[in-house]
Amino acid sequence: MTPQILAIIMAAVLLVAVILLLRSYVLPEKYAVIWIAASVVAIVLSAWPGLLDAIARFFGIASSMNLLFVGGFFVMLLLLMQVTLELARTRDELRRVVQRLALDLEETTSDDDD
Amino acid sequence: MRVLLAVPALNESAVIGTVLETLAATHPLSDVVVIDDGSQDDTAAIARAAGANVVSHAINLGVGAAMGTAFKFAAHRGYDAVIQFDGDGQHRPEHIAELVAALDTADIVIGSRFADGGTFKSSAARRGVQRFIAKVVSVYARTKLTDATSGFRIAGPRALQVFAQHYPVEWLGDTVESIVLATRQGLVVREIPVGMNERAGGTPSQSVLRATLYTGRILFILGLASIRSVPPQLRRRRAEPAEVTA
Repeated sequence: MTPQILAIIMAAVLLVAVILLLRSYVLPEKYAVIWIAASVVAIVLSAWPGLLDAIARFFGIASSMNLLFVGGFFVMLLLLMQVTLELARTRDELRRVVQRLALDLEETTSDDDD
Repeated sequence: MRVLLAVPALNESAVIGTVLETLAATHPLSDVVVIDDGSQDDTAAIARAAGANVVSHAINLGVGAAMGTAFKFAAHRGYDAVIQFDGDGQHRPEHIAELVAALDTADIVIGSRFADGGTFKSSAARRGVQRFIAKVVSVYARTKLTDATSGFRIAGPRALQVFAQHYPVEWLGDTVESIVLATRQGLVVREIPVGMNERAGGTPSQSVLRATLYTGRILFILGLASIRSVPPQLRRRRAEPAEVTA
């Protein structure tokens, strides 16, 4: 078994996992696009190593491995940034919902007292 | 038949008063619920003052979630059908009776801007996009639909039971995905022609780029809907077919 086949299998497993998660309504559609894109890119790159070499040559990078690491690292950073922003937004929404709930509860409780 | 009129509204304080006023002539406001989807203005206060029921989301969740809330409200209060009626003045109250009447032969009736008798002016690009989306959705619904993204629609008793448990919340998913979902549950979807007014506030997306993104997004939602299984909330229903056909 060549490393290339292993890489293709790993990428395909990722794609299948994404599709199964989507199917069962666990992974929301909003985040699905980026994961489908990531797994398709992984499959293409592992099935067609020449593509990576060509892109590396275009950017004047001597070793295509370096391109893979730099590119992969950059994409990971972007994804992490998106997750951080999403988390911040969710925390903000949670705070607003709890505050609103607290105010509404206080209103109904004081009504009962009257 | 007790019909609830659900008005999803986000920052519509400029028009919601007028919309409810015109509505009051054809539908009692006690059977109207305004779903205030996290408005920053006084949409909720105006609607409450006009005499409608108001349910306010603490944060903005989107039209799909607003309708989800409306269906739960309707099921809780024992309504038989829910009409979605936009709060921006696009929809005309005179078609409400026609939607209710059309429920005799369907579970979901969509008011179409483009069917015969519909008089809605929009750009050629937008019409083309709508027509294309409608063609694809028609295949799923196994019936001819000309305006799948119309927000003017009624859900009958069986559809109400399904939607009270699960309604698509993704942006743009609520209109088209709900049709696919309903068809999957064995519900009948049909359409009737309606006239619509120009949108009172805001301009609809017109550029070719936006139209393409919009179409792509809807096709993605449809593709997703076709590989998706039954939502977890509805699985128990599938196991008891007697309940579905009843």
